[in-house]
Amino acid sequence: MSLWLRRLLLVEWSGLAAAIVAGAGALAFIAPNFLTEFNLYVMLRSLSVPLLVAFAQMITLGVGQMNIAVGAIGGLVAIAFGGMMEVYGVPLGLAIPLALAIGALSGLINGLLIVRTGINAFIITLATGSAFTGINFGITGSIPFYKMPPALSGFGDQHWSAMPYLLVAPLIVAALLGLFFSRLAPGRQLLAFGGNPHAAELSGISRGRVVMTAHVLSGLLAAVAAVLAVAQLGSAQPTIGADWLLLSFAAPIIGGAALTGGYISVLGTMFAVFLIGLIQNGMVLAKVDPYWVQFVLGALILAAVGLNRWRAVNSGTA
Amino acid sequence: MTDEAFGETPARRRVNFGVVSAQLGLVLIIAGFWTVFSIRAPGFLSSFNLFTVGRALAIDIVIGFAQMVVLATGGMNLSVGAIGVCAVMMGGYLMQTLGLPVPVAMAGALALGGALGWLNGFVITRTGVNSFIITLASANLFSGAMLIVTKAVPLNALPPEVGAFGKARIAGFVSPLLLIALGICAVLFVLYRYSALGRNILAAGANARAAAMSGVPVGRVVTISHGLSGVLAAIAGMMVVTRLGAAMPSVGGDDWLLPSFLGPVLGGTLLSGGAVAVVGTMLGALLVTTIRSGLLVLQIGNFWLQLYLGLILLLAVLVDRYRALYAERHGIAR
Repeated sequence: MSLWLRRLLLVEWSGLAAAIVAGAGALAFIAPNFLTEFNLYVMLRSLSVPLLVAFAQMITLGVGQMNIAVGAIGGLVAIAFGGMMEVYGVPLGLAIPLALAIGALSGLINGLLIVRTGINAFIITLATGSAFTGINFGITGSIPFYKMPPALSGFGDQHWSAMPYLLVAPLIVAALLGLFFSRLAPGRQLLAFGGNPHAAELSGISRGRVVMTAHVLSGLLAAVAAVLAVAQLGSAQPTIGADWLLLSFAAPIIGGAALTGGYISVLGTMFAVFLIGLIQNGMVLAKVDPYWVQFVLGALILAAVGLNRWRAVNSGTA
Repeated sequence: MTDEAFGETPARRRVNFGVVSAQLGLVLIIAGFWTVFSIRAPGFLSSFNLFTVGRALAIDIVIGFAQMVVLATGGMNLSVGAIGVCAVMMGGYLMQTLGLPVPVAMAGALALGGALGWLNGFVITRTGVNSFIITLASANLFSGAMLIVTKAVPLNALPPEVGAFGKARIAGFVSPLLLIALGICAVLFVLYRYSALGRNILAAGANARAAAMSGVPVGRVVTISHGLSGVLAAIAGMMVVTRLGAAMPSVGGDDWLLPSFLGPVLGGTLLSGGAVAVVGTMLGALLVTTIRSGLLVLQIGNFWLQLYLGLILLLAVLVDRYRALYAERHGIAR
């Protein structure tokens, strides 16, 4: 293999960018409706929530942990957000910060339990996730809240050419996360701890603070995703978040994050979400059986894991 | 109690207070729930309810075992539900479409389960990638492939003896499925307690490097465990087929994820590998099935169920954690 190609492949998002360009090109060639303003708008709008879900998981992967409760927090926040507006008449301007606070609080509970008990994050968030979902279904009895303020659902539908307003939130979050992980001390500490917890602790990084920060941020981003999902759907469905788990892991890992912690890529995660969205959109346009989506997503994860492994071996960091 | 956690070194295997007291506690909690439920709802002890509880318990036990055998190696298998549903549809296809005799069709389904599990193990040991991510991906490959092939159409014209077996009662209230689950329990008990393979699996789970240096074929042992997990998931799938009398593409999947961890973890199986509690997993499954059935009989409804299950799992791991700390402080061998 020639040297430049090998170098290019060592950049984590190079393959993704190439796949997106090739896929978009092929789609534009095969399906003439792909490049219509409306189709692009629909595709970009459907990416807003997944982007935030992926970021929510990416942060916990950064410290070498996971958050199985991402979807459960999303569902709980969505119905709390919708419920307080419909039942108690809380104005939108107050409901949004309250909803985000509930998400952050859920993340804080996760973080506290993990830090205080020293139990595996997987099992703690599996348990709290089940509890959050139970509260969600117990309160709503699986019945959605439909009367959302027009300003909210209006925001969910508005767009500037092909650019939906909804996509603004994840783009801002992405920029902030990029800054956080590359420039700010807490972000650097988070990754340092994920890379080598022992060394990080010896260098004076507090394990408790790092793990709590990661889980609070993860809960907060899941809450942002839930608020956007309510805006997009125009109603607060208790099932919001039920199908987030796979995507939340797929995107960061396809984007080059190390499951062992310490390494994540904001840009890679974004490209991965775009690629997944492109594939789903292509399948709709090509009228492929929707069951293929799940299959392809599974195959993509395996391919990404294989590629990451190959890259690690080749760059000598394995 | 006979089920001390396997995997201690023989020299240290005195009575293991930590695990024995955990399972004693579990038995007491279960007895408490049974008392409360039978007083509050007289129907709870009716032979029909006992029969349905036993049948549900059998399935929960086997799902728990499917996860436990992989936890023993220090990994996890998120594709238990996906393998289960693939086996369900394969069994249905062999019986209904190809018209094979029921035992042959079921053997075919178990073979598929074993093959899918083996595939998981093969990829994990070959790539050295975390079992979490491999089985998360394979779960979606398997379910996706199943949906593509079956087009999500249920097979509900199975031979009548399949459904009849699921409805059969021994002595008025014992489901034959429960006896099968107990048989599997006995086999696993012997495997981990007395066989070289079982000891090798636990050694590999406790410390893969040390095991490899002592001559344990770690890769093969992990692959075998995943294959066994697949077979057990397929058995659970076959149990569901006899209960429903049909092969539905909607069973298994993500619905099995929480129950598969609840049984082993409540029973005292370590997530870090190297120790399993076979009887404990059965008790854990019994607790879960009891609560589920009791809430149903008391008409509290399914909606709050997930909250209680989550809280119980949380409570169980917390108690276990503090018991371990206590034991450590007082010098009792864990």
